[in-house]
Amino acid sequence: MENLLNTQFVKLKEAMNNLYKLKSSEHALESQQSTSVLMFVALKHSNRTVKRNIKSGRDELHLQKSKVDLSRLQLQNLLYEVSHLKKEIVRCQKFKSRDTYLELLSDKEYSNKLSGDYSEKANLSDHKSHLYRLECELRLRKELDNQYSALLSSKQELLQENLKQTQKYLSFAPALRTLLESTKPLHDALQLSLDVEWKLSSIFKYLPRPLYILFINLQALQRDKKDFASEVVGFESDAQMQELLSESENILKERRHFMEKKSTCEATPESTIESLLKPHPLHIKLVIESPDKCYELVLIIRYWELLKCVTVYPQFNSTNNSSFQGDINVVEDLLGHLYPDDSGQDIPIPGIEYELQSLNLTTEECLEYLVQNRFGKPYCWLQSMCSIATVNNKKIFKHEFNLHKMIRKVFIQILKRWRSWLRLTQQIRGLTYKDIDMSAAKENIYPAGLTGSLVQWTAISSEEFNIQNSGLINNLSPSNEITYTSYRAVIVRGSAKMECFIRIPSNYPLDIPLWTLSVHWNGRHTSVNNAAIKMMEFWTNSLQPKNLESGNRLLYSQLFRTIYSFDIFLETEGAVQTVREYNKEKPYISAYTKRIRLRPYKYIMKGSVYTFKQ
Amino acid sequence: MREKDLKLAYNNVLAQTISTSQKFLFAGNLFGDIFALSLSELDKSTEEPPNKLQVFPQGSDVDVNCLAFHRDFLIVGSIGLIYGVQWDEEAQTLSTKRAWEIKIPLQVDAVEVPDVNSFWLCTETDTLYAGCGDGVVYQIDLEDGRIQREYRGHTDYVHCVVGQPDGRIYSSAEDGTVRLWSDKQKEPTAMIEPYKNPQLLRPDWGKWIGAVSVNDDWLVCGGGPRAAIWHLRSMECTRVFDYPGRVHVCEFVDDSVLIGGEHNHVQFYTLNGTLQANIPVEHTASYSAVWQMSPFKFMSIAGFSNKLHILKDFRFLDSKIEMYGNLQGDDVENEEEEEYDDEDDGENDTF
Repeated sequence: MENLLNTQFVKLKEAMNNLYKLKSSEHALESQQSTSVLMFVALKHSNRTVKRNIKSGRDELHLQKSKVDLSRLQLQNLLYEVSHLKKEIVRCQKFKSRDTYLELLSDKEYSNKLSGDYSEKANLSDHKSHLYRLECELRLRKELDNQYSALLSSKQELLQENLKQTQKYLSFAPALRTLLESTKPLHDALQLSLDVEWKLSSIFKYLPRPLYILFINLQALQRDKKDFASEVVGFESDAQMQELLSESENILKERRHFMEKKSTCEATPESTIESLLKPHPLHIKLVIESPDKCYELVLIIRYWELLKCVTVYPQFNSTNNSSFQGDINVVEDLLGHLYPDDSGQDIPIPGIEYELQSLNLTTEECLEYLVQNRFGKPYCWLQSMCSIATVNNKKIFKHEFNLHKMIRKVFIQILKRWRSWLRLTQQIRGLTYKDIDMSAAKENIYPAGLTGSLVQWTAISSEEFNIQNSGLINNLSPSNEITYTSYRAVIVRGSAKMECFIRIPSNYPLDIPLWTLSVHWNGRHTSVNNAAIKMMEFWTNSLQPKNLESGNRLLYSQLFRTIYSFDIFLETEGAVQTVREYNKEKPYISAYTKRIRLRPYKYIMKGSVYTFKQ
Repeated sequence: MREKDLKLAYNNVLAQTISTSQKFLFAGNLFGDIFALSLSELDKSTEEPPNKLQVFPQGSDVDVNCLAFHRDFLIVGSIGLIYGVQWDEEAQTLSTKRAWEIKIPLQVDAVEVPDVNSFWLCTETDTLYAGCGDGVVYQIDLEDGRIQREYRGHTDYVHCVVGQPDGRIYSSAEDGTVRLWSDKQKEPTAMIEPYKNPQLLRPDWGKWIGAVSVNDDWLVCGGGPRAAIWHLRSMECTRVFDYPGRVHVCEFVDDSVLIGGEHNHVQFYTLNGTLQANIPVEHTASYSAVWQMSPFKFMSIAGFSNKLHILKDFRFLDSKIEMYGNLQGDDVENEEEEEYDDEDDGENDTF
């Protein structure tokens, strides 16, 4: 550009100079002047191109400038964004979800309750599974909430209903009173003395609640059954006294409590078991007549405020003054084994041991005290009769509501057991005094006489029994809380003697007497060393009462079975003896069968033909 | 006495057998119950008590007098009846249905249904020999259940029958004889009468022979008379064993003789008659012994008690396994809510 202009200027200068020279020399030439003027045109052209160039250069610059500006702006934006994101990250890090404050179900419960499709969720991320879990719980909570509100509303409804019923019920009272008053003239006219009776027996109003319930139920039962009688023993005044006393005691206690707490230590020595354990002044006396009208069973039923339970003390009274052997034991066994696992060894009231603990007492002490002072035992069935909730030694809770049925059942049970026991004691007495009517026994028994005979029946101690029969007893399943009375019977035939050891369980007739046998003849044979004796013993012990006729005499039947088995043993055993002592008297086909050489102990009766078989 | 206690105290096991797979032991008693015991636990030398037993009641009218195992059938000998029940090894259950039944024919003069007292199973010919209460040994083809032959001769019931695969059969009976039979001859080939030998006779206990066992050259038998070894060719009594009780079990085991019966021990003797092992048992009388040499040595002795006595080396008692009271599912039934209905009388209670 410069060059262009410069050359133009140089040319122009030359032309000027030329002109000047010419002019000065006065040789001005027209033509030369015009060429020089033309040079101005060229100069002008050049000038124009120069200007255009400058302009384009300027445009270029401007463009570049704006580009720079743009990128700068972008940079700024990005920087801003970075800082923003950094802030965002910090915020996220500081973020705490609200669900962390929620108490969630434990994993185990969760998997049990909510995870229907656990496998599906297994591949989800931690976060997602957590979300899923939250959702599930939300659903669960909503459901529970619904249930809760439903229950609440039903409770409300029931309350309303209750209220309505009570109102109705209350409105009865005046009507009843007017009815009572209006019937008075009728009573007088008919000369009824219901009122008087009612007033006389009003003492039972003072009975504690459980005994009251029992008494009312007994009265109801008594209306149509005459074989038992119940009455309330004690004085109305005592009951009133006790009520007053307990009230004043409470007041005293409260006062003491308010006054000062220093004197608490001095109260302990006087709080002995006697003063704490006081029965209610009123108790129920229940008299049940035995089936044969010879004996009376007297049950004294007491309530214990402290123990919250009822105890019964049984007594036997004989109505015709005949002595009754071991009656106390019998009657306690009778009640103690009325129901299984209910022998009155615990106080069956839930939580009573803790309450007693606070008074420094134990249940064992209390029970011991009760037994020693002849207050009896707290059986579960007795509590049920009084509608007291019980927990037995297997930790099963029971609260009886159908009292009427329950009491009837208990009475039937007692009578049944009693009857069995009476029969058993009769049999034992018969055996002891050898006053047995053999023919009367109705076991499907060999009718022709038995050759072996009972020569002795004596009571022995349990230790003696156990010494004789340690082997067998160990094999049996152990049974707690059952005591045994043992007897020894001796059966003789010719030179052979058989000792029988009989063990009668206290829960007869649930368990039946157990017999063990020992034969003395050419040595001592017992179930330990002689299989034939063991089979014989099995045959005796396998006699079940249900196979016998009603009104059976089990002990006699067992004895007969044993004796004829003994006869058969001797007769079959004798058959191989060189010198025969016992001839075959019983009808049997073969003396032995099977590899065990089983003897024909079983008695078969077909029509009038009878035989013994294996 | 409750039924449970009764069974516990008077469990009388007459028969045992081992399954073909040698994994299970079966024992049957007079209450009609068959117990199954898995032997795999016994194999290990651990001290752990073996698994509980399974019980398969056969009905109270069935006395399990003898047992045998053939292929996958348990064969039960009862009264007048032999039947097979299928054993499912996988499920370890005994079928409740009888797969087949063979009735023992009643003799013309019979007054009682005869017991099936003893089995001898010949696996080579699939033949079962059953010694029965009518004094006859029945040869039964297990393919079709036909009675192929009756071996008649005993005058009283058969206690025990054994044999050898070549067709020789030996039976002992209440009549005091041991008879030797051949499946090719009608009459017994020979007869032994131990009670006629004054050395053997124990007069108080009778002449019956409760058990017999044979190997190639020798026969051992005993019962009321003492147990003794007899030479099969000469029919001579060569050795007397002094087992003190009545003999119900005698067997050749390895190269010794096992004798058991009504005594509180079972005894192992050498063939020369010297006592090798005297093993105390709780049975009033031992009635059955089964054993195997492979895959592991094992012997079980059963009798009139609630325990199986297990021997592993045949010289010492290894363990005792209770039967009743040790059954699978026993623990569950403890929660039984028995309705205590007094069975004492059927009188109507008026209350």
